[in-house]
Amino acid sequence: MNNLEEEISALKQELLKMFSLVGKQWKKTASAILEFDQDIAEEISSTETRVNALEIAIDRDCENILALLSPVAIDMRFVLSAYKINHELERIGDIAEGIANYICENESAYPKEVLEEVGLKTMLEQILSMISDISYAFEYEDTKVARKIFKKDKMLNKYNADSVTIILNNMDIFDRQKLLSILSTVREIERAGDSVKSIGEEIIFHLEAKVLKHVENKD
Amino acid sequence: MNNSQINRLKDKTFNYFGIFCTLIGLVILAFFIGSIFYDGLRRIDWDFLTSLPSRKAEKAGILTAWVGSIWIVIFTFIIVVPLGISAGIYLEEYAKKSRLSSLIEVNISNLAGVPSIIYGLLSLEIFVRLFGMGNSILAGSCTLALLVLPIVIVATGEALKAVPHSIRAASYALGASKWQTVWEQVLPASFGGILTGVILAISRAVGETAPLIVIGALLYVPFTPSSPMDEFTVLPIQIFNWISRPQHEFTTNAAAAIIILLLITFIMNGVAVYFRNKWQKKINW
Amino acid sequence: MENVLEAKNVNVFYGDFQALKNINMKFKKNAVTALIGPSGCGKSTYLRLFNRMNDYIDSFNLQGEIMVENKNIYNKEIVVEELRKKVGMVFQKPNPFPKSIFENVAYGLKIQGVTNKAVLKNAVRKALQQAALWDEVKLDLDKSALALSGGQQQRLCIARTLAVEPSIILMDEPTSALDPIATAKVEELIRELKQKYTIIIVTHNMQQASRISDYTAFFYMGDMIEYNKTDTIFTNPQHERTQNYITGRFG
Repeated sequence: MNNLEEEISALKQELLKMFSLVGKQWKKTASAILEFDQDIAEEISSTETRVNALEIAIDRDCENILALLSPVAIDMRFVLSAYKINHELERIGDIAEGIANYICENESAYPKEVLEEVGLKTMLEQILSMISDISYAFEYEDTKVARKIFKKDKMLNKYNADSVTIILNNMDIFDRQKLLSILSTVREIERAGDSVKSIGEEIIFHLEAKVLKHVENKD
Repeated sequence: MNNSQINRLKDKTFNYFGIFCTLIGLVILAFFIGSIFYDGLRRIDWDFLTSLPSRKAEKAGILTAWVGSIWIVIFTFIIVVPLGISAGIYLEEYAKKSRLSSLIEVNISNLAGVPSIIYGLLSLEIFVRLFGMGNSILAGSCTLALLVLPIVIVATGEALKAVPHSIRAASYALGASKWQTVWEQVLPASFGGILTGVILAISRAVGETAPLIVIGALLYVPFTPSSPMDEFTVLPIQIFNWISRPQHEFTTNAAAAIIILLLITFIMNGVAVYFRNKWQKKINW
Repeated sequence: MENVLEAKNVNVFYGDFQALKNINMKFKKNAVTALIGPSGCGKSTYLRLFNRMNDYIDSFNLQGEIMVENKNIYNKEIVVEELRKKVGMVFQKPNPFPKSIFENVAYGLKIQGVTNKAVLKNAVRKALQQAALWDEVKLDLDKSALALSGGQQQRLCIARTLAVEPSIILMDEPTSALDPIATAKVEELIRELKQKYTIIIVTHNMQQASRISDYTAFFYMGDMIEYNKTDTIFTNPQHERTQNYITGRFG
């Protein structure tokens, strides 16, 4: 392997670490929400520091590769996509921390009925599976798997759209602060889904040189 | 002793050996020139240079001899330079490289080794008798021109070879024909080497005795030539003549003539080397 | 942009060895086209087809047609010297004549029979200005060309070519013998020259190809593998061989 191949391989390993960390963050967040565990929420905050440090390290590695090794073609596309994937992952991690903080702001658990109506468990399962899919797609350079997440993201969008009405309907029945926390959580999960979708687009750009940004039908 | 000490010793040894070899040649040459000067220097005066030869040693001069030598040199130069350089250019630049052309080139070099007297015999038959030149300066010049032609051809060829192909390529790429390239770029660039060859050739010609004797250069010429068809003599022949005389005074004359011959050679070489260096300054690959 | 140079079904042999296989290619006018590929892939041979500099190699044999401005330049009626006034060449190692700067640049015109001193002076000045060398040498045009630095000598060789007013310039690795600063100057010059000239450049340096060329052709073992706009070749090449070469995965 020449220098460039080694550096690109190392960069990929760093991103895989990032994927893994962020995936774990979300698993913890899902548990924290569903079981109303404020301790886990604290863990998530401390792991967030590691994620941020890793983001900065990956940024620097991308810069170095561009400056020193002049990658072209597929190597260049990989570095460009790695750069963007890095930021999206950091955002996804951030979101996990944000949702966890809502739990700490509330004294007791979210009302189960609302959670069911809104479908939060399904949403969480969906986002977790999306993160798992996209990690696989990145590691094994599989664009077919990468494309799976576009449909899954559409589902998250739908749940998000429906949630406003549900929350409004329950405004007079349950604690308003808790309801707002739930609404915010749903919003954030949808945003996380968007970020995973962006990662999918970048993976396809790297492997197929196709730009799917702002394209409706992604097949 | 370890390796590097042995190598150092070898180095030093060769250093001294080299000095010895160089000095030996110089010492012998110096001895030779010294003894000639000792013998002949006092004999040189204006009379000696401007007198005709004579049976009396004190009256004998080298006028006809050195004038004859100059005539021979000039005409040899006129004949051999265009012929030799053109042949050299043709062989190097124009002739297709084939077995025939290699054969020709090898044989030209071989010609340089043929004993000069053979050239004399050849010229006797062809120039003197067949062409009817008689034993004239023209015949002598043709003989010597043939003799030194290989030197000029080979030197020209080597000088042309030394011009990098990139110069020719640049010239062709600008739309020059082969002749333009040779005339405008290659020849000027190889001029130094060619001139060296010409110097060598003429130096050789100045000192040749045997072939000229064969074609009939006279031992006793009481007049200076006034046309290329005249009979003639040259300095080496005059020297040869005087050395064969029993009287000791003629030996002195011979020594004096040798000094003049050496002087002519050195002056010619000096002038040519001067011009070659001047030319060479422009060209440093 | 019209095509000004074209290769049609070109096969080149040196004796039994086939150096180029079935090349079909059109070069765009007023563009810089780079020819890249590993050593021995035939790109220099290909370049030299366009000004017939391969003619001096005994075993050279061409099949197919090379069109310059719609005329097949290997036809019997073509006068090679006329062709070379239209198609100039700059070589890898700067090769100025061992003469003065002025005589170097004026040579191309002198061999055409131009003797008018004023015309020559003017042409030399113009060419040296175009080659971005004028300011550095204008005070002493009689200085020997060999006294210039490597980069200056190469720009002198470019000026010498420009003086003849060709429309096409062939460059065979023109900066491979130069230091980075001289290289940068020559590259800048090439980018300016393409407004008036069509330039084909053979280069071993892929970054140079990506920096200065509009189109790039990748050659491998006598075949032309890919020929496209430079940005496409370097962001998304269509052939794996091309990608392997430009990413350095094989020499």
